[in-house]
Formats: sequence, structure tokens, C-alpha cells
Amino acid sequence: METDDSGPQLEICFVTKQDIYAVPGVPFSVPQNINIVHLNKLLNELLGDYTGQLKAIKFDFLVNGQILRLPLIDHLREFNISTETTIDVEYIERTEAPEPENALIHDDWIGGVQAADKWILTGCYDYSVNIWTVHGKHEAISQEHTNLVKAVSWLKQSDPEGGFVTVSHDLTGMLWMWKPGDKSPSPVIVLRGHERGIDSVGVSPNSERLATGGWDTYLKIWSASLDADENYEPHHKKIKSSSHLPSRTPIHTLQGHKENVVSVQWLEPQLICTASMDHTIKLWDTELGGLQSEIVAEKAFLGASWSPLCRSIIACSADRHVRLYDPRSTEGSVCKMIFTSHSLWVSAITWSQTDEHLFMSGSYDECVKLWDTRCPKAPLYDLSGHQGKVLCVDWTNPKHLVSGGTDNSVHIFKNRHNN
Amino acid sequence: MSQKLKRRLVEADHNLPQSSKTALEESHSDSDFFDNEGESSDLTDSEADLSGSDEVDSESESDNNVSEQSEEGDETPKVLSNGSPPVLQKVDEYAEHDTSDEEDIRNTIGNVPMKWYDEYKHIGYDWDGEKIEKPAQRDQLDAFLQRIEDPEFWRTVKDPQTGKEVVLTDEDVKLIKRINAQRVPDENFTEYAPWVEWFTSEVMKTPLRKFPEHKRSFLPSKIEAKRVSRMVHALKMGWIKTNAQYKRLKAKKKDQFYMLWQTDSEAEKMRRIHDHIPAPKRFLPGHAESYNPPSEYLFDERELQRWHKQEETPWKRKLHFVPAKHGSLREVPAYARYVKERFLRCLDLYMCPRGIKLKLTIGPEALVPKLPSPKNLQPFPTYLAITYEGHTDMVRTIDTDKTGQYLVSGSDDGTVKIWEINTGRCLKTINTESVVRCVRWCPNQALSLILVASGNKVILLNPDVGDFLISAKTDTVLKESPKSDTIINERVRTTVQWAAPSEAEYGRGFRAVLTHFKEVTQVTWHGKGDYFAVIMPDGQNRSVLIGQVSKRKSQLPFTKPKGLVQSVIFHPSKPYLFVATQRHIRIYDLIGQALVKKLMSSSQWIATMDIHPGGDNLLVATYDRKVLWFDLDLSTKPYQTLRLHGTAVRAVSYHKRYPLFASCSDDKSVIVSHGMVYNDLMQNPLIVPLKRFAEHKGCNDFGVFDVRFHPLQPWVFSAGADGTIKLYCN
Repeated sequence: METDDSGPQLEICFVTKQDIYAVPGVPFSVPQNINIVHLNKLLNELLGDYTGQLKAIKFDFLVNGQILRLPLIDHLREFNISTETTIDVEYIERTEAPEPENALIHDDWIGGVQAADKWILTGCYDYSVNIWTVHGKHEAISQEHTNLVKAVSWLKQSDPEGGFVTVSHDLTGMLWMWKPGDKSPSPVIVLRGHERGIDSVGVSPNSERLATGGWDTYLKIWSASLDADENYEPHHKKIKSSSHLPSRTPIHTLQGHKENVVSVQWLEPQLICTASMDHTIKLWDTELGGLQSEIVAEKAFLGASWSPLCRSIIACSADRHVRLYDPRSTEGSVCKMIFTSHSLWVSAITWSQTDEHLFMSGSYDECVKLWDTRCPKAPLYDLSGHQGKVLCVDWTNPKHLVSGGTDNSVHIFKNRHNN
Repeated sequence: MSQKLKRRLVEADHNLPQSSKTALEESHSDSDFFDNEGESSDLTDSEADLSGSDEVDSESESDNNVSEQSEEGDETPKVLSNGSPPVLQKVDEYAEHDTSDEEDIRNTIGNVPMKWYDEYKHIGYDWDGEKIEKPAQRDQLDAFLQRIEDPEFWRTVKDPQTGKEVVLTDEDVKLIKRINAQRVPDENFTEYAPWVEWFTSEVMKTPLRKFPEHKRSFLPSKIEAKRVSRMVHALKMGWIKTNAQYKRLKAKKKDQFYMLWQTDSEAEKMRRIHDHIPAPKRFLPGHAESYNPPSEYLFDERELQRWHKQEETPWKRKLHFVPAKHGSLREVPAYARYVKERFLRCLDLYMCPRGIKLKLTIGPEALVPKLPSPKNLQPFPTYLAITYEGHTDMVRTIDTDKTGQYLVSGSDDGTVKIWEINTGRCLKTINTESVVRCVRWCPNQALSLILVASGNKVILLNPDVGDFLISAKTDTVLKESPKSDTIINERVRTTVQWAAPSEAEYGRGFRAVLTHFKEVTQVTWHGKGDYFAVIMPDGQNRSVLIGQVSKRKSQLPFTKPKGLVQSVIFHPSKPYLFVATQRHIRIYDLIGQALVKKLMSSSQWIATMDIHPGGDNLLVATYDRKVLWFDLDLSTKPYQTLRLHGTAVRAVSYHKRYPLFASCSDDKSVIVSHGMVYNDLMQNPLIVPLKRFAEHKGCNDFGVFDVRFHPLQPWVFSAGADGTIKLYCN
């Protein structure tokens, strides 16, 4: 730093929203081309002076709402910020790099994955449904489906005993009951009604309803109750129905999409967000049974995720980009931000449950990436490990970043941030 | 006569003294009584008398003067001063001759400063050329004495011309006095004579002239208007300038310099000759013209001989002279042909009409048609997204299902594979035990059926993917073959045999197997999904076969061989069949059973073709590297020929929804083009090549075998000889 002092100087002022790391708002004169490393050093010295904290903490710096990656002057030039005034540099504790924890090896491609507590539920292309612990212990397997299992979901996110739901290309979905220790869970109810393969499933926040979407372009809403007697019609028998299982028919069928529904997510107890390959994201009101609003894009969507924390939709489509949409904006088609780093289709995407800025994406370029919305140019971390296309990602358990792909494995990364 | 006479008399009246006038009046009154002749003679006499008397008077007077003058002139100048002044004498002299108003100038030197003669003794020359001697100069004392003595001194002045002293007469003095007093010099002039009103100053009540003013005095003059307008125009054009403008121009201009010699580079400008074409310049002299040229410019003997030989044809000579070397410029002789050449040049200049040669400058850019930028024609596939790997040999053919969920491919390894498009997952592999040349998914969505051309068999395959209800229904439909008592034609029976699959084959998904007598290269569905066409190029007059799924029956539409059939397709909406032989495409009406049209391709060997979903445009791939676009409404010749590929084009395909088409070739490339067909019949289709993909690897000189579009998205699939299928996305 001493060598750089000869160059032009900038006035900066450190601010933060994290009280424990607060420093007095005194402006500092720093060289123009100061980078994160030097800023970190400076801030840690300051913290050492004021709070007596000796352990070095890594920070990220926000200038104009964007994470600083370049030298400060380049960052300022990019946003056309005047160098004359004192620049407020907000600092936040840096998101820790996720740590690779485990790889769960399956027999076939992984179509869907979801974690609850320490249990990881996977749906497999060999028609099987597996349950693992995060430590890599295979807990249960069941092969009741007759075609690819495309999506899985726990009914109660924190409680595996609440059961789970799986959907498959055999045109059915299944509701399962499982208790830890049970080696082969059994389906309780079969969801019948779709005419083509089901690609996506979503469970309502209160775990009372299910929504599924698939290649027949319909969005179907079901009861999520595990009670078999409800809604069961003994007369309604399908040709290939498993004779011993009661089936269930949808409560509502919502038409509107023109192509495959790739993603279903409940925003509120009455609001569903679906993304489809017909280039639209639609918001459905289940109470009224109709369309509430719509986002029209130019590419076929492959996945979408809604975050209640920042109340916006992050979507991936059949191209290299990840796009951020605000469903509340009146002109719904406006893309707020584009995140580009993947080199092939981004197939799956999900928000963090705890941080309003973080999300993860999985792509056909064999890469899972961790992103911060404040840093659209580059992801925070590349979580490598997959040796095939990534088909599904999950971050329901904030502690674990889970992804599955065509390399027959589910990779678990431990999130060390906010722990 | 009498009137004229009277006037003359009146005129005469004015000159007559009173006495003679009365006498005349008397004679006049008398003459009234006389004859005309007599009167005239009488009158002339009297007049003559009168004038004669008058003349005598004046003569006598002048005589007196002359005599006086001559007397006085002969005497001394003193006498002159005493007598009448010489001026007066001169006046008399001129009055006598009445020839000129010239004064008698004694001194002939003219009106020159007399000081010129200060140095000489004479003061000029008289009329005869004699010097006029200067009179003796008197000194101051003499002058003083004379002033005292001479009483006339005050009126004596010196004549500068003659140097003589002149004594002014009383009249002169009087005249001078009057002039000094600023009065009229003439003594007799009465300044206060009564005013004679020749024209009245009062405005009269009645005009002098009876008639009104002429009309033209009220009208503006046309000539003046013309003149004014001409001036205004000139002012406007800047040909003439107002004084203010001139002043401004003058103020602006400082120093003006003119070129003494017009430079060569400047074009000659001629006044009043517009578009003047300057004379062509002579060539500048080269080294050969030099008086001392380098030796290589001098003629050797052969050249000289040749030069002389061309005496008769001088225009063939390279040089019109013989270069010569001289020691110095001084030794250069006169050029004998100089005058002749100048003359010829002058003849050229004014005898030959000159003209400006109009040159058309067309750049290569101007010849390229203006096409819209590919950027504005989005969406179209731009990058390789997914590779479908699994086949162990060349993939010859691909097709997609209607929903865009599955892809079917057929390969030389004898297998048909069903793929999930979005993930690249191979869902099923069906072995057919022979080279699969064509797979086509049934366009009817109620049937889950694929036509597979494998070897000399055509297999109706139920892939059993998607809706199992439809699969099951398809199975039931195909299970029970309709019983018909119609006897199958012998000709058809030897061509094709419908057979039920064996148990093992049924398990693989086969629902019907058609065994043909020759190898099948292509199958194609009719739009409704019941009829299909099969081609066996080696089948002579049985090369095209139309089958019907519902009746499990085939028929041969043609009896005569039309050539080597390459490709067959059904019109998407009309009952037309397009049959492509090696060079021509024939369109048959299936209901009317007649030839509708014959399209002439300019190529040698047609490979395949595809029809636009609108049905009015046909795309033909040829083995001679061309892709032909036929507009069926326009002509039987190709509307456009696209030479985009380096080698044989294997397949072409239209997109069902987007204005796109693609072609693939053995040069391993897939070219996606924009092919917009307008509803407006007047507007021709717009064809813009957009993107070239060269992702496949070659294998045995084969590149890409088939190209297909995704049914819903602007994505394109290509099947390559390297055993892979690739998906390109927008």
C-alpha cells in the first residue's frame, strides 16, 4: 500500500449494516486503484483498533449496491460515479465458500432432489425414489414408478415424517409415507389426471395442497392429505393403475400454458408461480382458479424460483443466462437483471431460504454456481464436482446446497455462511 | 401659288424699311389686278432693287471701315492706339467673309505658357511662320516715367501673346467696369424689362387640348417593366450589384493577384461555353524525344529497318520519329515535320467533335442484394446446446414428435433410438436388424406411431412414450387387422407384404412389418397420419408405394417408371403428391389422378425436398451443392438457387412455425436461413442465410445426413455421420 500512495487518492467512508462490525464513519484517503485485499486489510486494522477484535474477517465491499470485484476506480468508472465526493463503501461479511461434503452415487440420472433436515430425497431416472442422509448414508429406496421420476418434494420441509410426493413421466404422481428407519417407503396415494409426463411439483406453504405441471401443459392442484379415504373414488379405475393403491384426482385443472410446465412453486397459500417452455411465467390464483399475471420472455423457460425474502423471481431458460424478474412490476416482461456465466443451458435454479441475495444455479455445462444478486458479472463460487449435466438443484435446507445430474450422483455442499 | 407668294411677301416685309414697305404694299395692291406672270417679274424686280440698295449701304459702310483700317494698319502702331481697336477690325473682317468663327491669332504658338519663350528673343511665330520679336523691355524707371508722362497709362495693358502694349478703348473700360460691378456686360440689356407671359401661370378651366390623355399614359410601360425585371433578375442572380454590395465587396477584397499563366492542372473555363470539354493533352515527351537519349532508346539497325519498312503504315510505328543523339542542344537540326504535325494537331482539335465518355462505376457492394441484418431476424438457432450421443454408427435420419418432447433417430447400426429432447436422455433403443434409412413420427396425435424404413422393410413402430392411453389405443387399433375380401392386386403383392410382427418384435414395439421387394430409402406421412408413401428407387415402375395404416393396404399409384425416384412428399393441405426424380419434380393430383405440374430443377441430381407448411413453396436439396427454392405459384423454375454448401446437400427442412429453413450437407455444415413467405401474393419470399454450424465430424466423406426443426421452438437438430445428433438453440 505504501507504494501506491503516490498515485491519485480517493475519499471513502466505511459503512455497514452489521452492528458488530461497525466502525466510526471517518472518511479515509485511499489510492484510486485500491482492491478488495487492501480494503480488507485496512478494515481489519480499523476493527482491531476499535473493537479489539484480532481475528481477521473477510469482507466484501458494496459500492453503489454492487459487490466490488475490480479495483475501486474501475468500479466507479463503470457506474459513472464521481470520484470527487466521499464514496460510501458498504462492507458485508463475505459469503463463505461452500464446502464439498458428500456425493451420493445412484444407478441412474437424478431427476429431482430435495433436502429436509438431514434427509435428502432423490428421484431417479431408473424409476426409483431414494432417501439419503446428508452424511451419505442410503436410507431407503423404492421403485414404484414405471417411468422417469422427474421431481420430488417433501410435504413438510422440516419434518420428513410428514411424507413426500414424487412425480414421474408415467403420468402419475405419488404421495408417500416414510418414517426414518423405514428401508422401503410405500406410496399411499397415486395422483392420476395428467395426460403426459409430469415434470414439476410444488407443495403449498401450509402443506395442504399440491400443484403439478407437465407435458400436457396443464397445471393441476391436488390435495396433499395423506389420508387415503379422502377423495377416493373406487369406481374410477385406470387401465394401468396399481390395483392396491387408491388414486386421487385433481381439485383444479388450470389451463393456459401452451407447452411443458417446467416449474411449479407456491408463493402464498393461494398463489402459484409456474414457468413453462412456451416462454411464459404465470402466476395463478387458486382461489379464483385463474391467471393472475404473466411474464413473457423470448426463450423457453427451464426453471424458476421465487423468493419470499426479496419477492422476485429468478428464472433460467434454454440459454446461458439467468434472469431476475419482478412479478409486481406492471410491465411484467421486464427483465431486471441478467446473470451470465454459464456456458450452456441453465437447467435448474433456486433461491437461498435465508439470504435475500443468494441463489444457486445448475447448468448443462456441469457446473453449479452460487450467485449474489449484487454481483451480476460473475458468480460468487463455482461448485464443481459434477461430471455431467446438472438437472436439479436444491437449497431447502439452508445448510446444504444439493445438486443432482446426469453423472448419477447428488453432490452436497455445506453452506458455511450464516452458521 | 398666290398663297406661297403672299408668304414670301410677308417674309420680305420684315426686312423692309418703312418707306419701301409702303411702296410695296402699293405695288402689291396694284398687282392684284395683273396676271400672275407679270406680277412675279414685277416683284422680283422690286425685291432686287430693294436688296441692291441695302447692299450698297452696307458695302459703303464696310468700305469705309476697310479703307480706314488699311490706312491705319499701314501706319505706325501709335496710330492704332489712337484709332479703333484691332479687335473690332477683325470682327469686321470676318463678317465680310462669314466663313469661320476662328480668331485671327497673330501668334501661332497657341495657348502655351509664355514663360517658355523667356529665354528667346522672339515670343512666337506669326501666321507666315516668321518669328515675332519680343518688344524691347522697359526697365522700372522707364515704366515710372511713362506712368508720369502718359495720360493713357492706366488703360494700357500688355498683350501676353504678342508682348505689345494695348490701350483699352472707352467701351472696353466700360465693359470691364460693368463686369467688376457684377452687372450684365451688355449696356443695352434691360434687367427690368416687363415680363412676357408666354405660357400662362394660371390653371385654366378648360384644357388646352380637347382630347383626353391617351390610355398608354396611364398604363405602366411594358418595356420598362421588362427592363426592370431584367435588372431585378440580374440583381438576384448576382450578375449586377448594388452600390452597397459593391462597397461591401470592395471592403472585403484586399489584394487581388492573377495567375499569369493558367496552370495545367486547372480545367479550362470558357466564358459563355458551358460544359466545355478541354482539348486532350498531348503526351509529354519521353526519353526517346530527348536530344541526347540514353543509348537504349536509340534504334539499332533492325529497329531502324523496321521503322523504315512501316513507311506505308506509319500508325503502326511505335515512335513517329527516329531518336537521334546530339552532342549538344545547339546541334539539333530543325524538325522537318513540325509544321505538319502542328497542323494535324490543330485539325484534330477543331475538326474532331469531343464528347464526354460516361463511365458506369458499379462497385461489387452494389451488386449484392440488400438483405436485412440477421440480428433483426431473431429468433433462430445460434449455438450448439445439446449433443445426443449413443449411436454407434452414422445417424441417417431424425424426427421429432409433435409436442417437442421426444426425438427419434435411425442409424446405420440398425437401431432406432427415442430421446428426451430437453435432457439428451436416450429413453429407448429398438433394434431393427438393418440399416435404418428413414424414421417419421406420425403426424396424427391420436396415434403413437413411427414409420421406420429399415433395409427393405417398413416398420410401424409404437414407441410407447408419452401418453400411455394413446399408446394403448394405437395398439388396439393396429391389433385387429380389418378383414376385407378385396383381392390384393398381384402387382402390389409382389411389391409389398403386410405382416404382423413376431412375439419378440412386438415386444420391441413393432406393430406391423411391411416387407418390400427392394430396399426402401424413404417414407413419408400424409398430413392426416393415415396414408404414407414409401420409395424404393430401384423399383422401376413400382418405386412409389402408398400405404394406408387403417386398412393395412398398399397401392401403386404409377404404372410407368418416371425415372429414378428420389423423394416423395404429400402436400400439407391439398391431395397432391410431389415426386422428385433425378432432375424433375412432378406434382400429381391424387384424386384427379393427373399430373398437375412439372418443376424443372436446374440440377443434375435431386436429393430430398421439403414443403413449406403453407404448401406454396418447396425446398429441394440437390447433390450438386445447391438448395433450390420453388415458389409453386410463380414458376416451374426455381425462385432462388442457394449455393451455400461446398458439397452435396443431404437434407432440407422447413420450420413449422417460424420463418426458418435449414439445410445440411456432406461438408459437415448445417446452414440455417430465414425464409419468410408472405401472405401477400405480390411479395416474393425473403431468403436470408443466417447461421452456419460446423459442429459435426465427418466420417467416410459423409457429413450431416438429416436436419429437422423442433416443432415448437426455434431450435434445429442435425444428425451426423459421426453418430451424434446435435441440437442448436437460439
